[in-house]
Amino acid sequence: MNKFQLYKLLRKNENLKERRHPMFEKNRFMKFLLIFMWLYYAAILLFMGVTMAMGMKGAYNGVAAHHVLDGWFPIVLLVDFWVRFIMQDTPVNQAKPYTLLPIRRSFLMHVYLLRSGFSLGNLYWGFMLVPFGLIAIAVPFGWITMIGWLLGWWLLCIANGFSYLFVRTLLTKHMAWLALPIVIHGAVIAAMFVPEHNWLDMPCTILLNAFANWKILYIIALAAVVALLYYANYLLQNALVYNEISKKEEVVVKNTAKMSYLNRYGCIGEYLKLEVRMRMRNKTVKMQFAMGLGIMLLFSVIMYFTNAYDGSFMKSFICLYNYIVLGMMTLIGIMCHEGNYIDGLMSRRESIYQLLRAKYYFNSFILIIPPVILMPLMIIGKMSVWMNLAYLFFTVGVLYPILFQLAVYNKDTLPLNQKLTGKQGNATQQIVSMVILFLPIGIEKLATLLLGDPWGYILLMCLGVIGIATHKMWLRNIYQRFMVRRYVNMEGFRASRNS
Amino acid sequence: MNIIIQNLRKNFGEKVAVNIDSFNIHSGEILGLVGNNGAGKSTLFRLILDLIKADEGSVHMADNTRDINVAETEEWKDWTGAYVDDSFLIDYLTPDEYFQFIARISGKNPEDLQQFLDKFQHFMADEIVGQKKLIRNLSAGNKQKVGIMAAMLLQPQILILDEPFNFLDPSSQSAIKHLLTKYNEETGATILVSSHNLQHTVDICPRIALLEHGVIIRDIDNKEGQAQAELEDYFQVTD
Repeated sequence: MNKFQLYKLLRKNENLKERRHPMFEKNRFMKFLLIFMWLYYAAILLFMGVTMAMGMKGAYNGVAAHHVLDGWFPIVLLVDFWVRFIMQDTPVNQAKPYTLLPIRRSFLMHVYLLRSGFSLGNLYWGFMLVPFGLIAIAVPFGWITMIGWLLGWWLLCIANGFSYLFVRTLLTKHMAWLALPIVIHGAVIAAMFVPEHNWLDMPCTILLNAFANWKILYIIALAAVVALLYYANYLLQNALVYNEISKKEEVVVKNTAKMSYLNRYGCIGEYLKLEVRMRMRNKTVKMQFAMGLGIMLLFSVIMYFTNAYDGSFMKSFICLYNYIVLGMMTLIGIMCHEGNYIDGLMSRRESIYQLLRAKYYFNSFILIIPPVILMPLMIIGKMSVWMNLAYLFFTVGVLYPILFQLAVYNKDTLPLNQKLTGKQGNATQQIVSMVILFLPIGIEKLATLLLGDPWGYILLMCLGVIGIATHKMWLRNIYQRFMVRRYVNMEGFRASRNS
Repeated sequence: MNIIIQNLRKNFGEKVAVNIDSFNIHSGEILGLVGNNGAGKSTLFRLILDLIKADEGSVHMADNTRDINVAETEEWKDWTGAYVDDSFLIDYLTPDEYFQFIARISGKNPEDLQQFLDKFQHFMADEIVGQKKLIRNLSAGNKQKVGIMAAMLLQPQILILDEPFNFLDPSSQSAIKHLLTKYNEETGATILVSSHNLQHTVDICPRIALLEHGVIIRDIDNKEGQAQAELEDYFQVTD
């Protein structure tokens, strides 16, 4: 078999892997939803591209429309980078099944790196850039200029993709590497929003303008950056793939705290210990928590230093988001991690009820974090204490009960200690996420409109208190409904385990 | 505690996994379940443990005072211990933590747990407790030991073990045989064990059920060890 035939075989296997994933095989709606979402976001980008091009035409006298967009390209790359966590796998993981076969490791790495470089995903922003380019560049400046400008964007997306792969692979070594993109992106955001004028505007415009004008030195320079990132990834992935196959996790557990202070809570205390240890000892769960925390910090920092989120809706949204994000990250997939040991849990009496209670208490307890992060915003008066109290109570008493309903319906096991990518939420989870993010704001705004200022918040608090007071009742109800569906759920957990 | 199986049917698509008209496992019995791969041993265990839904029929656990359909209540979980595969293990715990967890949710105090662990010292061979290793980092054999011990920790009246000799070294296989027979003698518990190891099954099980395509085709009395020849003949071990 020559290298080209081998490449075709690897590509075929990758396609089969996606097509035969158990989640897609048994869930036609999921397939439909993914295609719908893909088209939906493509349509949004298309719309943005057209409206921006039309809007900027003539709005900035003397400045080409694309220069305005170019000044913001770091934001596009930033979004692109974080979205990749949901969509893109690392070559190390992709190559793992083949590492013990008689295929050169270097060949595998090149195949998967090239596939990710030339992936159609890197062209997705084209839905926005092509219509923009056609209207704002091709018409006034000609086709050649537009193609050069698009080439610049494409190379930037590829470079961004390789940067993501680099960070994503380092994250398998240690979670602390998450600090790298957070610091860099934080600095980028600060440079764009903290000064009166966007500091990155000029260099970004110069770079993409050089592409539009086919300045060969710039093209070579950016291509060299892409090549460098490719090579750095090649070295890193090549080194780590061996670690992956001979993976020996740190076998001596450092944190064996007995948490004896939880003993006084009896059975619930034991399930609380289980919850804490699950969060501390499993990469996937730790990563979810870190991402939630990162998003909270990012939003809060932007709000603190800029006026970007000073509107009434955005204030409410950021406040709510801070309170719900940590819970949402894990509770959307409630029971999915437990799918790994569901048979053990199900062979103990009422264990699921106790587990649900422990999860509720744990997720309520971690809500001491958001007020700490939001404190500076309360101090400078950008966010009211009323608003914080309202969303705190509403989250614990209303939004958590909504999220916990998913315990009845979730039936896909999520890996505890592997990568984050590869498993998307199902339709119910997507719908619940939307409800969680917008229902409270709707209620608050409506109540404020009808009753006056603090009453919207007071209503949210009252609803929250009712939910908290009745938590044993609704958790018992969820448990009973889970038991009615137990065979379906257990079958789903078993079928999706290790997939 | 008796286990009463009535008209139990389970199909996976066209394939018959379990098809048993009537079968009783008597209180205090050690029943061995043997059969080729795909005969339905694990499925039968999962049906008894209410981990999968039967297409028809029922499994009851009964004694003089109670008669419980396992699909209708969770009461039987208080006196039933089982280990079928590693989906019974919470692998991000250390064995010490896992045993403590099981002990506490089962209402055992730390002294009970320590006494229990002392009995298993030889079986654990200094490789399980006190190691500060997560269960997922243990060898397959040691994981198997943790699962078996956790099932026995409850001191169950019904103990169900699917292929307990798998992954164990010869001395541990011998130790678990000894532990199971001793446990049965001391507590009068009903024990169900499936295995591909005919010798071990014959050694510890006075009664052996032979399963083929989900049907119990032979119910063999092995009080005097007489099942060996019949099983070897069926499995064509001597050919």
